[in-house]
Amino acid sequence: MTPRQIGLHLVGLILLIALLVGWYWQSTGARAVPALTDSLKSDDAKVRIAAAQALAEIGPSAKPAVSRLLNQALYDPVEYAGIEAARALRTIDLVTARQAMVASLQALREDDVQTRRKACAVLGGLGPVAKPAVSDLIDLLTDADDAVRMHAVGALGEIGIPAALVIPALAKALRDPAQAVRHRALSQFAFSISPTEAVVQALKQMLEDKDRSLATLAQAALNSPHRQAKDRTAVYVTTLQMGSVNDYTLRQLAQFGPEAAGTVPAVIPVLKHEQPLYRYLAAEVLGAVGPGAKDAVPALIAALQDEDPVVRESAADALEAIGTPEARQAAATHRQTAGLK
Amino acid sequence: MTALRDTRTLTRITVTLYWGCIVFGLTLPGVVTVAHDASRRHGAWTEAWQDFRLHLFAPGYNLFLVAALNAVPFVLLAVFILFHLGTAAKQEPAIVSRRLLGIAVALAAAVGLSAWAHIGTTLYPDAQGALVYLFLPIYLLGLIPLGYALGRLAGNFAFRQPAPPA
Repeated sequence: MTPRQIGLHLVGLILLIALLVGWYWQSTGARAVPALTDSLKSDDAKVRIAAAQALAEIGPSAKPAVSRLLNQALYDPVEYAGIEAARALRTIDLVTARQAMVASLQALREDDVQTRRKACAVLGGLGPVAKPAVSDLIDLLTDADDAVRMHAVGALGEIGIPAALVIPALAKALRDPAQAVRHRALSQFAFSISPTEAVVQALKQMLEDKDRSLATLAQAALNSPHRQAKDRTAVYVTTLQMGSVNDYTLRQLAQFGPEAAGTVPAVIPVLKHEQPLYRYLAAEVLGAVGPGAKDAVPALIAALQDEDPVVRESAADALEAIGTPEARQAAATHRQTAGLK
Repeated sequence: MTALRDTRTLTRITVTLYWGCIVFGLTLPGVVTVAHDASRRHGAWTEAWQDFRLHLFAPGYNLFLVAALNAVPFVLLAVFILFHLGTAAKQEPAIVSRRLLGIAVALAAAVGLSAWAHIGTTLYPDAQGALVYLFLPIYLLGLIPLGYALGRLAGNFAFRQPAPPA
């Protein structure tokens, strides 16, 4: 081969690589939002689900897609497509996520069983952002329909906060007459919620359950690392200090309440994270810690100016929970300014 | 090896191996994924292809990146082939044959390991399976020179240069 021929083949390779890089660049990040938003209109549920997942990964830059995601969360005939849209909303825009929550709360009161089930699933998809829906979901644990109660238990587990309301409700669901509901409640303690001592006793009793699948799951819940989670705050602190902020860690800390006081210095910087969900969860952690988080008061006062109203509201709640005169004053002033009180 | 004395034949072999290597590296993961998916769906190739396209850039799948990672060692091997075989016409026929055998063994080893890793990961998925995609290029980059060395060694025995006239 002549040097010219070799050179031409090398140029061909470089062009191919450039083409592939361009294709990747165009198909990922914020640049992919228009195409993914179009995919939400697809007749194929799998395409809608994949598009919602991809938009969730993009995060706040996918804001142009929120109205279509809201539509999918509330009206998609395929439940899982609705859940994925709700999950995307919580990472993209908290305000729209709260709109989905309000609409789902209304749907919880519908006579149609399927509508109530789906509303629970969407609230679960919204996760900790749907915290104000916890009381309504707890009320639903007395619903006549087994599947509605099971979906409500699942949603409570996904929301996870405030732990003071969620954990007793899930513990109560461990004694539900329906096996499917008990199974779902056990799954929450096995995989995401830290059981309290009272729950541990209930789990131990379930080890003798005649239903072996329940007994096995109870054992899994007792062996779960979540049980020792309160001893693992050091791990969570290291995770946050390394910059690996994630909603799981923050939600776990919010569940620990005052016992997470040692993590306050690591949580404070998260109030300035670019992702609104993380800023919201950081404020929730500090609020759950309460008076032990008084070092966070200046950062929380600064968070009252956050661009996201959901974060501002959570910061005001946290300041009230911390309860120092300065914190109370700042929260009261904020509420007056915002016209909420 | 008379044919290899013909520069055009050698050029054709070089170009075929060069582009074949690149295309194989890029497409193997996709071909394995689509074939496996189609066999699970009892031959529904169109659905398998659509599913593949859907997950090309999807979080948690990113099949495009998997293909790109797999292609890196094959692209490097292709460039090596281009220079090593592309300039071989000036050499003695025995040397050309040795080079060709070295490249053939290196290519066979790389293709074998890559196919085995991708087929194994697809057939027996597990939580840590994706780590294979990160480590495979490193293993391939180690295996390719080893394969070439073995091929050249075998070539030294198989293709001896004619003894110079006494």
